[in-house]
Amino acid sequence: MAYEEPVTDYDKIVENCTCAFCGSNCDDVDILVKDNHVVGVRHACRLGASKIMEDEDQRLTVPMVRDENGELVEVDWDTALDKAAELIAGSVRPVFYGWSETSIEAMKPGLELTELVGAVIDNQATICHGPTVQAVQNVGYPLMTLGEVKNRADMVVYTGSNPMNAHPRHLSRYTTIPKGWFRKRGRFDRTLVTWDPKYSDTAKLSDIWVPFEENGDYAFCNAIRAVLKGKKLKQDVISGIPKEDIYELTEKMKKAQFGALFFGLGLTHTLSKQRNIDIAIQLVQDLNKYTKWVLLPMRGHFNVNGFNIFMSYEMGFPYGVDFSRGYPRYMIGETTTIDLLNREECDVFMVIAADPGAHFPGGALAHLANIPVIQIDIHWGPSTELADVVLPGTFIGVETAGTSYRMDSVPIFMKKAIDPPETCREDEWIVNELLQRVKKLREASK
Amino acid sequence: MTYIEKPSISNVVKFEDPDVAKVERLTVMLNTGTDIYQGACKKRGSTLKDEYRKVAGVCYMDPKDMAKLGVGNWESVLVKSDWGEVVCYAAHSRDAPHEGMIFIPKGPWANVVVSPETYCCSDPTYKGIEATVEKTDKEVLLMADLMRDVYKKYVKEGEKTEELPSLGEIPVYKKIARSK
Ligand code: SF4
Repeated sequence: MAYEEPVTDYDKIVENCTCAFCGSNCDDVDILVKDNHVVGVRHACRLGASKIMEDEDQRLTVPMVRDENGELVEVDWDTALDKAAELIAGSVRPVFYGWSETSIEAMKPGLELTELVGAVIDNQATICHGPTVQAVQNVGYPLMTLGEVKNRADMVVYTGSNPMNAHPRHLSRYTTIPKGWFRKRGRFDRTLVTWDPKYSDTAKLSDIWVPFEENGDYAFCNAIRAVLKGKKLKQDVISGIPKEDIYELTEKMKKAQFGALFFGLGLTHTLSKQRNIDIAIQLVQDLNKYTKWVLLPMRGHFNVNGFNIFMSYEMGFPYGVDFSRGYPRYMIGETTTIDLLNREECDVFMVIAADPGAHFPGGALAHLANIPVIQIDIHWGPSTELADVVLPGTFIGVETAGTSYRMDSVPIFMKKAIDPPETCREDEWIVNELLQRVKKLREASK
Repeated sequence: MTYIEKPSISNVVKFEDPDVAKVERLTVMLNTGTDIYQGACKKRGSTLKDEYRKVAGVCYMDPKDMAKLGVGNWESVLVKSDWGEVVCYAAHSRDAPHEGMIFIPKGPWANVVVSPETYCCSDPTYKGIEATVEKTDKEVLLMADLMRDVYKKYVKEGEKTEELPSLGEIPVYKKIARSK
């Protein structure tokens, strides 16, 4: 990789900003600003830096509406908001999806709008850690904060997750590499373990790599649980792992002083889904008979956890909440976005701070081609190719301040470093405008 | 370095490997998920660009599997599953060996072949999908062209997407003429 000169040409440094990318929410990022533009980023990883140094060619700067030829046409804010409000007010089964890349502040009017029109509100958890949330409801949650792991953990296990690619500073800031109160030598005082069928970039750094078979996670965790309970393993090889290795690993896990298990989408996206997480949580419960173990899901977006916390607090349900009957209902597989799209139930889809075009399976996206789609986002992305009304938002954590929740549920206030482009509006303002306009339309039709 | 032309990958595919039997079509297990190149490009917002198709429209394969099909790095392969088919670049996987398994980073290309089935559990099945891979001469499409080709939301009746001009690498929309 070519050497790059450090950036020296800047007006000011805005210190201790929070990175608005992954669930690690690193809050030590310095942003270098010149003429109200970000010219450099310090301390962030490759992912964080690339998001903060955004691609201005593809920034959504003006509101747009599709014309009858299927082309997007720039319009003024009033026209775009009225069009969106009309679509929402006239819909029977609207779905408001996204919210994980915006602030808690923007979710508030969003929830009010959802209640008003009897919509379904859902976030990215529905396609990532939804099964985790279900498992937590099934069997509980031995939670900690990342600070505890940093100061105490002497064994760190990652499974179904590749933090070196998805949360690059997770190991170096919170879990494995930093020196902690009881782990004075940092990395040398900790054992890093990866359970993953692939020799992933995280596995390459690990002391122990357990390559169980694809879809073998359920049986593997159960085998460890059996050993913990003093049972003999009857098979010689379980999920591709020889039983001696399982005995040895279990012994190591029992001997740890403080162990932390982090799991990612490798567990929730394979066939056993929430049952995998049930078992992982129960494994940690079993380990606590011997020593201290905790676990944490590796949440993807910086505020995906925030939405679940916000919704649970306000409505009692974490995601996929349906207000069509006038009161909140939550039924996995029925009121969740992918299922609603698969069944072609929804008739207006609003996506805010998310990109279903890039992340939903084609089978579900096919329905978005049949119905009007409203997009509130900062970049022209795959979802814009399916959107009928586009409303440009502002960049939380860089252009707008707001609150988010880290993966371990610690709330963090993200400050702003620069002013947003003149023609863009804050998500909170946009959602509030939609709410007021839909209210007016409703009253007029009474 | 924020922008990249394409991810760096190793080049050790041995086509003459005597242990490798040539096949036309390979049955594999498809996995999807994030990858650092895809993440950086997507969240920066450069999804229309050629860079995005080089980081997300890629099928990472074991070099042995590539030798079986006779495909080299950055040549096109057609990936088919029960849910659709998509053309991707073949590339040597950093995590190899993993014969019989392919990895496509999450994104519009992977979406075409993953399963929307949630088994009543909200979460589609993005990993562990049966698929086949074969060599093809077709081009990997840019993001905007792929979305048009697959979902045809704004394609008029009778129009053939393969005959339409490419939508290109920058946003296209009608601007309001502003007086200066
Ligand atoms: S680890 Fe995550 S939060 Fe931290 S700088 Fe990287 S992308 Fe941002």
